[in-house]
Amino acid sequence: MRRLAIGGRIDRSQPMEFTFDGRAMTGFRGDTLASALLANGVRLVGRSFKYHRPRGILSAGPEEPNALVTLGTGGRREPNLTATTVELADGLVAESQNRWPSLKFDAQGINGLFAPFLSAGFYYKTFMGPTRRAWMFYEHFIRKAAGFGRAGEEPDPDRYDVRHLFADVAIVGSGPAGLSAALAAGEAGARVVLIEQDFALGGTLLSDPQDSESAAWLSGMLARLAGMPNVSLMTRTTAFGAYDGNVLGLVERHGSGTADPKEGQARQMLLLLRAKSIVYASGALERPLTFANNDRPGIMLASAARIYLNRFAVLTGTRVVVATDNDSAYRAAFDLATAGAEVTIADSRAEPIHDLREQARRRGVAVRTNSLIANALGRRAVRAVSLSEPGGAATVRCDLVAVSGGWSPTVHLTSHFGVKPVYREDIQTFVPGKLGAGRFVAGAVMGGLTTAGAIEQGHRAGVDASAFCGAAKAVQQPVRLELTEIDAGPDDSPLGTSLRPAPLAQLVRGGYGSPAILPELHRPRRSGETSHAKRTRGGDEEGAKLAAGKAFVDIQMDVTTQDIALAHREGYESVEHLKRYTTLGMGTDQGKTSNFYALSAMAGLRGMAVPEVGTTTFRPPYTPVAIGALAGRSIGHHYKPIRRTPMHDWHVANGAQMLEGGLWMRPWFYRTSGRDVNEAYVAEMRMVRETAGLMDISTLGKIDVQGPDAAEFLDRVYANGFARLPVGRARYGIMLRDDGIVFDDGTTTRLGERHFFMTTSTAKAADVMSRLEFLLDTAWPDLRVSVTSVTYEWAAMSVAGPNSRDILAAAFPDLDVSNEALPHMGLLEEQYRDMHLRIIRLSFSGERAYEIYVGASLGNEVWCRLMEAGAPFGLKPYGVEALGALRVEKGHIAGPEIDGRTTLDDLGLSRMVGKRSGYVGEVLERREAFSDPARPRLVGLRCFEPGKQLHAGAILFRPNESLQGHGLGRITSVTYSPALDAWVALGLLAREAAVEGAEIVAASPIIGQAVRARVVSPIFLDPKGERLRG
Amino acid sequence: MADSSTMAGFEMAADDCVIVQFEGWDGAMAQFEAQLRRMLDGPLPNEVGETVRHDSWVVIRVAPRRFWLLGDDPLPIRDIDPELGCTLPLGEGRVRLRLFGGVIKHVLERCVAVDWKTLGEGRAVQTGLHRVPILLLRRSAFECDLLVPRSFSKSMTEWIADASTAGP
Repeated sequence: MRRLAIGGRIDRSQPMEFTFDGRAMTGFRGDTLASALLANGVRLVGRSFKYHRPRGILSAGPEEPNALVTLGTGGRREPNLTATTVELADGLVAESQNRWPSLKFDAQGINGLFAPFLSAGFYYKTFMGPTRRAWMFYEHFIRKAAGFGRAGEEPDPDRYDVRHLFADVAIVGSGPAGLSAALAAGEAGARVVLIEQDFALGGTLLSDPQDSESAAWLSGMLARLAGMPNVSLMTRTTAFGAYDGNVLGLVERHGSGTADPKEGQARQMLLLLRAKSIVYASGALERPLTFANNDRPGIMLASAARIYLNRFAVLTGTRVVVATDNDSAYRAAFDLATAGAEVTIADSRAEPIHDLREQARRRGVAVRTNSLIANALGRRAVRAVSLSEPGGAATVRCDLVAVSGGWSPTVHLTSHFGVKPVYREDIQTFVPGKLGAGRFVAGAVMGGLTTAGAIEQGHRAGVDASAFCGAAKAVQQPVRLELTEIDAGPDDSPLGTSLRPAPLAQLVRGGYGSPAILPELHRPRRSGETSHAKRTRGGDEEGAKLAAGKAFVDIQMDVTTQDIALAHREGYESVEHLKRYTTLGMGTDQGKTSNFYALSAMAGLRGMAVPEVGTTTFRPPYTPVAIGALAGRSIGHHYKPIRRTPMHDWHVANGAQMLEGGLWMRPWFYRTSGRDVNEAYVAEMRMVRETAGLMDISTLGKIDVQGPDAAEFLDRVYANGFARLPVGRARYGIMLRDDGIVFDDGTTTRLGERHFFMTTSTAKAADVMSRLEFLLDTAWPDLRVSVTSVTYEWAAMSVAGPNSRDILAAAFPDLDVSNEALPHMGLLEEQYRDMHLRIIRLSFSGERAYEIYVGASLGNEVWCRLMEAGAPFGLKPYGVEALGALRVEKGHIAGPEIDGRTTLDDLGLSRMVGKRSGYVGEVLERREAFSDPARPRLVGLRCFEPGKQLHAGAILFRPNESLQGHGLGRITSVTYSPALDAWVALGLLAREAAVEGAEIVAASPIIGQAVRARVVSPIFLDPKGERLRG
Repeated sequence: MADSSTMAGFEMAADDCVIVQFEGWDGAMAQFEAQLRRMLDGPLPNEVGETVRHDSWVVIRVAPRRFWLLGDDPLPIRDIDPELGCTLPLGEGRVRLRLFGGVIKHVLERCVAVDWKTLGEGRAVQTGLHRVPILLLRRSAFECDLLVPRSFSKSMTEWIADASTAGP
């Protein structure tokens, strides 16, 4: 291999220093890492996934299965990047992967010796025992022995970002079809975005010599497009997914593997492009060939050899065998010969097109027809090939094998919408299925044969796509590319890239040129045949010897033709099963070079046509996307938005330990109450029971319900009635789901005849709001009701405790808060500084309590006013831990009891509903299964073992019962009760065992503890409610 | 509440504003709109996202049957006939972030899925910013208001400020 002195699209005036496995090398601006490695004589770039076989560079694009490298160091370390797509940068640090201690000498290459045992399904069959936990032991070693690169463990210092973009027409691919589409759409007046994964525009045109007519055509097109303000050209940007609403997921890369990007610039950017129409001009990928040892370094796609030659000025071999079953590889052969290589074409067909043979003769290229490549010789680099020909076997020495097994259109993106690709028998490949409105295709992705055809199709697609968006200015005729080169293909293809059918008979046999495998796959097995290997050794020893070695179908995942045959024998015939059993197509390359061969092989084995076998499902991403790009700026401080109550700063300034609840930040406890949560919450409970406490309840969901039919609406929404709730009164309400399970609880206050104020639990606020809107929009559109979330609107706080009334009176001396004026469940609406002040007497703690609502902007002021007025009465703040404990003492249910499984009856709330009907969930709430005596019932549990405590989640058993299985129920909430000086809990216990006074054992298997408790009433404190009503 | 911060070519200020929601009942929209027009002494926006300015007030049609009146001074609220619709003040729950500057398009691209280029001046759109529901009102070529929930306003301000420091 050598870098040519002239030619290519590299800038020789800008050398780039880089290292590979610590070795310093030089390339040029315009190189990829792969081209620079090749120019530096590097053939061996990696080791294979399973067998650790030496691997080189197969392709020049994103389909690369072999040349995976790790870029960068420290926090910038990024594994599994294809060297073929990495733009060379000064200072780039690259490492090979999956080898130890070095790439040249990889100790795990010993895996190859065990290859006969490492067939498909090996892990599933071998590592199943002797115990169920054995896998945990094996996995450690298996992960080390097989795999790809290793991600960095340090924090990534770079910035990643997400942007939202919009366009009339998005065009994927900048080859001749894409460029032509962009020009047409741009001339039509559409806002156009042209997306190209490469750092240079041009697609396949870049593989032509710089002085060619196609290169001139490309330059002209790029100049015209650059001058169009309505056309955006996006390079280094991969369209990795297509989603509903014509959204394309793009990832844009800046400075891979280099030091800091520009100030403020993201290393990678996730772009969500919403386009009115999309033109897919994503081209086609060349298929390799399947033969023994087809993975050796020095075996390369013919198109790649041509790209390295003409774009990067790297002659990848001096003695070249071009193995092909179609015409397109002839151009690579001709260009390599022109550059000075000695070239032999091994064409599997009986006769190539006459003109091509003549062209070959003129260039000194030898053409061998009916010549199948059977084996590649050499280990770390290919040194010869064995050819199987009618006259016998032949060996040809070489240092490069350029292979071409035809072309597969890149149908990935077009399939992401769920549109299955369809098979075109005439060119024996899959093309996109029928796409929906606003989606167009052009060029090789549709199996197009010629550059002229691609330009014409692209032009038409551009016009149609822009017209779809309403942009229909007059458009000039497409800029034609009239090539006169003699090496035009048989279809007058300017590029000669005919998708001339590959000989399917060879493909379905699973092993192009591999006599060892052909008989096995070709015909059905006979009774008594057990092993492919035995039979072929006995039946075709010469062929087997010629083709000794593995023939890989999926080079990245080390899946061979034999693995496919084995999967077939074991019944994994569906392509989806084949994929999962063999791991075929499951690597980072997603099987871009292997899918078609695998389908063809399975079709042959099953005696079916390829389309009958079908395809696996194409899913995003088309190429790997870094997690950093997907996260964007949503990391660290910005991981999620934080929701603060109006009194947040006060809490923080006054010693609150804050707790995340959903997105809300809430005071958990105050450090002024105790050294830790356990000490603090008990002290705060005592304070509320004995004097008073102030709690920030702004996080409660709040919904304004208005309208002539508001009462009727609430009557249907709540299981208990609301229609007769008097104005100025509040009521506890409970909602059911359609299936009769309890959905949420809360209180609703009647502000006026047609106006209600609903509160929900903090956790269910959004769900309840959504549910109400859904019911109004779908079930009862006739009701004149408006529901609006006012959670943000109100600051809310609850003052609770024996002194709460005095505190309220002191804080608002003009208000009458006497028991007569404001009884339990009563409402007082007044003004405070010209704003609404709403006081509702409600209690969650079991103490006399008042909920105070005021406009959010005044929340902190009213809070401070209450604190100041309450100080003489012993008022202090308390947090959610104490609130949760207070409600357990009182036997109030909350989230742990309303867990999506419990019914009204389970929670002891059936009496609230009585014989009402017509509410949501009524019908299914009455189903027979809900009356099953085995269903749980809410109970109280009181621990009577000194020094022991109950634990939430503990499983409940009868005394002397084996502590196994699901038991009779579980503890849902637990607290220490200072009032009772005991650990108490709420639990759900089977009705047959829920007898007050009965003894129960609460087992916590995780902490290995069993505690005895007694079943009691769930209301531990003040069962008559005297404390809250007085 | 008033807060402001300035970055190169970009300014952001946060302040309170008055928002009043008017909603009409299905089947009575013609009368509801007629009454609202009389109250405002002017036309109403016809489409969702359209706005109409009345003196210091902007009327935004936020949903087929809902209007928001947005302004800086207290609205002399006149109740709508309850047989036709209802009103609800919403200004306490939201903070207005005013964004201004030549790079506003680049900042918004990193915040909301809204096409600034095709969003006409005076148009409003409800969208999500960092997964939080907001209303975006375009005021001019380089200026917009974001009405964000008060409880999220600090997070939103920090998110936007960070977006404004991003390179092109």
